[in-house]
Amino acid sequence: MEGWGIPQVAEKPSNKKIMNAREDMLGRVNKALAVLPERAPLPDWDAELAVAQKLVANHDILEVFVERIKLVNGMMMTSVAEVAAFLKNGGWTKGYCDPVLLATLETQLGSGFSLTSEFDRTRIDDYGFGITRAAGGIAETGTIILNDTLTSRRLGALTPWVHIAVLPKEQIHRTMTDAVKALSADPNVIWVTGPSKTADIEGILIEGVHGPGVQIALVV
Amino acid sequence: MSVSPIDGFAANLKQETHDAVYKSTKVTHEKRTKLLFDHFPDANRLREIAGEIKQHVIENLDTYLPKVEEKLKANGVQVHWAATAEDANQAVLNIMRKRNATKIVKAKTMVSEETELTHFLEKNGVECLETDLGEFIVQIDHDHPSHIVRPIIHKSRREVAVSFEKNGLGAYNDDPNVITQRARVFLRQKYLQADVGLTGANFVVAESGRLVLVTNEGNSRFSLAATKCHIAMVGIEKILPRDRDLPLLLNLLARSATAQQLTVYTEFITGPRKSTQVDGPDEMHVIFVDNGRIDVLASDCRDILRCIRCGACLNVCPVYRQASGHAYRSVYPGPVGAVLSPLLAKERFPELADLPKASSLCGACQEVCPVNIPIPDLLLRLRDKNKQAHGPSAGTPPMGAWSILASQPTAWKAAMAMGGAVNYVPRILMPGPLRKWQDVRTLPPWKGGAFRKWLKNRPTKKS
Amino acid sequence: MSAPSANRPVNKRVLMLATCLCDAYFDDAAQATVEVLEHLGCTIEFPEAQTCCGQPAFNSGDWPSSRRVVRHTAKVFAGTAPIIVPSASCAAMLVHGAPLEFEKEADKGEIDALSNRAWELADFIVNGLGVKKWPGKYQAKIAFHTSCHSRGTQSGQATLTLLSSIEGVEVMAFGEGEQCCGFGGTFSVTFPNISKGMGDLKLEHVRAAHPDVLVSGDSSCLMHLSGLAEKEGKPIKTLHFAQILRDALKNGGMLAN
Repeated sequence: MEGWGIPQVAEKPSNKKIMNAREDMLGRVNKALAVLPERAPLPDWDAELAVAQKLVANHDILEVFVERIKLVNGMMMTSVAEVAAFLKNGGWTKGYCDPVLLATLETQLGSGFSLTSEFDRTRIDDYGFGITRAAGGIAETGTIILNDTLTSRRLGALTPWVHIAVLPKEQIHRTMTDAVKALSADPNVIWVTGPSKTADIEGILIEGVHGPGVQIALVV
Repeated sequence: MSVSPIDGFAANLKQETHDAVYKSTKVTHEKRTKLLFDHFPDANRLREIAGEIKQHVIENLDTYLPKVEEKLKANGVQVHWAATAEDANQAVLNIMRKRNATKIVKAKTMVSEETELTHFLEKNGVECLETDLGEFIVQIDHDHPSHIVRPIIHKSRREVAVSFEKNGLGAYNDDPNVITQRARVFLRQKYLQADVGLTGANFVVAESGRLVLVTNEGNSRFSLAATKCHIAMVGIEKILPRDRDLPLLLNLLARSATAQQLTVYTEFITGPRKSTQVDGPDEMHVIFVDNGRIDVLASDCRDILRCIRCGACLNVCPVYRQASGHAYRSVYPGPVGAVLSPLLAKERFPELADLPKASSLCGACQEVCPVNIPIPDLLLRLRDKNKQAHGPSAGTPPMGAWSILASQPTAWKAAMAMGGAVNYVPRILMPGPLRKWQDVRTLPPWKGGAFRKWLKNRPTKKS
Repeated sequence: MSAPSANRPVNKRVLMLATCLCDAYFDDAAQATVEVLEHLGCTIEFPEAQTCCGQPAFNSGDWPSSRRVVRHTAKVFAGTAPIIVPSASCAAMLVHGAPLEFEKEADKGEIDALSNRAWELADFIVNGLGVKKWPGKYQAKIAFHTSCHSRGTQSGQATLTLLSSIEGVEVMAFGEGEQCCGFGGTFSVTFPNISKGMGDLKLEHVRAAHPDVLVSGDSSCLMHLSGLAEKEGKPIKTLHFAQILRDALKNGGMLAN
């Protein structure tokens, strides 16, 4: 089917074009803006305006987090026993685990589970669940924060149907504003707010698309 | 008398499609409004501030572009500049060729729709797969997205089921759960076999060089976790000044686009993977794309460059609801498209000349826009520009004659007095516009001059 | 959309711009405007040479033609007195549209001055003269359509304040209040299918509230909606809110004759 994209401009020598593309574009930007008598200033705005105040009014950050994560169909658990019961009930017994947590969790999950800290990307469907460490959380939105430093394998957190993020409760930020301030030098930080979802087909909400269908925060 | 293409499209729209679009847009709009104002009683103030921030950026792109480039490079990102769609596509291909890469998975990015990247790559022997569920369905269907955020808002599950069957993705099954699971299973291996992951960027922060990607499905994340090279195609206008501006824009974006507080995945990227992370790209590229944006920047419609592609204007627009996205025959439909598409089309503007006119100027779009773009004003400017360049379009009542009449009081008053004749003229003999009016509406009885007469003849008022 | 400036003149000596639609079709709405303003103690001057605010040509993109009409209007309404307009769209044209199309014109200053004196009627009554309660009585269930050109102004709220304060009036809520009626000026004839679709949808929502009368501050919206309704054989009663205000006074025996 014919595209609706933009037709190409008349051909110019291609290597000349690419070499000068930066200068050409910046030059045209300068020219475009030269007509403005003055430039719109950057407004000085109060950071508190970007906080949904009534959602975080409760002083207890954990209580806010619990409430908000439920609203996005995420789950919060506070003990490995809880996790074990949930996984067993769902029939997920084989999973990937962050090597740092492996020894402890193997013991705490108990029998009936098979954990590995080797993630084989040629066998991603072998792993019913993945357990990795969270870098933090956000109470205001019920969000789990992952980053490259603390996530042992990005694929280990994303591809299994169930993802369990181990989240120390003192790492939960109250607001998005706080969490943005804490964006460190880690080159990849991802805020995970509930299980993956889509509403592309007739607006019907389906959970578990390309990412997990179950997103758990194990708050410790 | 023929009607404009958009009006004609609306008239012939299948009831099923009309109902799907109407229902979806109405629900999302109403949910957006409730959520936004529930969480932020002064939400309109937030929209104003966000608008000022974006206007500041576009009016200072001469400073911000070099600034963000420098930061990106310092973070280990390779920066490219693409003036045209062809340049942008070629830049992607060059990166792939250098890596001997033949497979690319792409997340949703409207810029790549503008440049028709997939078509170009396929022509050049690259396997290019859409991974966003809606875009994937558009791709296998050889269709076009009809909404910026909800590509298949115009499709029913039945139509999707038929497509899946036709494309070897299982026997007919129109259960959305089944369809989604089939897509999940099919695409999982594709990510892992691909060499390159391509995304757009919702924001690029100048101060930190941070790219921000806002998604729900996990396809963007999977593309970046499974492949070794990340290419981001980014319109030059996507810059934000500082990290501190992010909470404001993120709060507005998800609520405006999908009536969510936050989308499932909000990813902040400042470079290739950390060296201790096994998964993810070793190499990262950002291609800054012009493709007509700089011309828009030079025009008096530059405010449209504030757009953060949320789709809220589409969802509230009564014209979009009646006509649906394909009526706009361009990458960007709805109110934003009515401004942006003709401008980006450059010399092809006349083909899309009906877009700026497809509006009653109701202003609902401006009222929901998270960056407060004065869309009706921009539509009016485009109408002025179009009229000056190309004259009035067919069916427009003659304004020149009207303006002469309306600047000559004697003639005006005479017309008022005599216009009563219109009460007696058969419809078939009426001038075009009046006849068109009466195709679907009656006219009230003519009362020209009655008010003036009353005013003149009333007994003198005693105070 | 178009926020009128905060420092428009307030005075009981006013100029009235009747609007071309009232001039041609809705004489009683204009008449009611006069009666209502006089009840409030205003002295109204009606410059005979007035014609139109210039909006039709402006919306069509024929700005040179529109400017010709606006210049005529500026001449006719010369002075400093407030200009009262019983139409949100005509008021918006003067307040917002005219300055926009005169951006690059030499006489921009004069037009800005004109625009700074324009008041939509309800806005003037409530926010200019400070009248928030309307006397008299009017027994009816009213569906109030906030016209799109009152977006960004106080007019919609002002009209609601006045109407809901009248003894006997019940303002009925109806769905999709933010959706345009579909008139849009020449849009109504250049996009006839969509215009009708929008109008039909509006009528559906209004009818579901079972009002006695559909009221607005814009005669154009009412003309479009009542025209559609009548054409399909299901006429509805429509009134400009000025007529409700005037009739309330009449019913209360408060209208000087």
